[in-house]
Amino acid sequence: MIRIAAVGDLHYGAGSKEILRPSLQHLRDRADLLLLAGDLTRCGGPEEVAVLAEELRGLPIPVVAVLGNHDYHADRQDEVRRVLEDARVRVLEGEAAAIDIDGVRVGIAGTKGFGGGFRGAHGSDFGEPEMKAFVGHTKMLSDKLERALTGLDADLRIALLHYSPIEATLEGERLEIYPFLGSYLLAEAVDNAGADLVLHGHAHHGAEKGRTPAGIPVRNVAQPAIRHAYNIYTLDAGRRVLPAAAGGIS
Amino acid sequence: MSEPRAEYLPEAIREKLIHDPRVAEQDLRVQVQEHRVMLDGNVASPQLKQRITEVAKELLPDYEVVNETTVVSAAEPESEESVS
Repeated sequence: MIRIAAVGDLHYGAGSKEILRPSLQHLRDRADLLLLAGDLTRCGGPEEVAVLAEELRGLPIPVVAVLGNHDYHADRQDEVRRVLEDARVRVLEGEAAAIDIDGVRVGIAGTKGFGGGFRGAHGSDFGEPEMKAFVGHTKMLSDKLERALTGLDADLRIALLHYSPIEATLEGERLEIYPFLGSYLLAEAVDNAGADLVLHGHAHHGAEKGRTPAGIPVRNVAQPAIRHAYNIYTLDAGRRVLPAAAGGIS
Repeated sequence: MSEPRAEYLPEAIREKLIHDPRVAEQDLRVQVQEHRVMLDGNVASPQLKQRITEVAKELLPDYEVVNETTVVSAAEPESEESVS
């Protein structure tokens, strides 16, 4: 049994010192791995993420993260990443990491992801260059996610995202902003590659639980939605999820 | 750019709060009634809630600011969920 602690949307800044630290003290006894689902900062400043990095530094369990849209706001995402990596946090963008925990190989494929909408109401990369860039970004990141998940040789596979792959975990958000909260292309990538669990953030008013169209569990771990420092999910390493069967279009 | 008409004032305030680095919070709902501004949403800390009130008062010195945002708990979870 592998225990995964997960949270997103911590939105750390200068005034955030010590918000998380008291809840991290017992993490070693409660979880084997901590996953961070993006929006770790308020405005994307390296000095903001440094406050969080200081609280994570020296944690006795591995920490893996993706960045979120806020972490890109200052256009200093590479520096944000380096600050986290200096605190031994592994940051993924279209990449995968595999970690051995008590003889179980846990694989994590991560990406920020992006928006576009959901089946029947998704934007197309058609028309103005801005629209092509918007949807093209989601397609590119979804393709990378699928490749990263497919390439993982692991007993358990987890997709770590910031944007949502499904609508169910957005329930509670205004319908009008769904296209800015996620894309079905992320779910399709996960369903094509297969996974045991998908974690995302970004949806502060969303619901916690849902499934991809092929049935893979999805959890929204945005901190304002879960109202805890993190949630803990346990996964049975004996169960291996295979890629979903191909659909009707060949 | 001209000052926003009353019909567009809540969105103008919301945009200012998103872009003010002291706040940078996208999770706020803003309503304006007469000379009262009401703010609602989730915030990460009591300090941030206080800053939001201060920045809103700076933006609208002639308005009463009613900050009804909720500070979200960062406590440890009581239980865990099996997703196998």
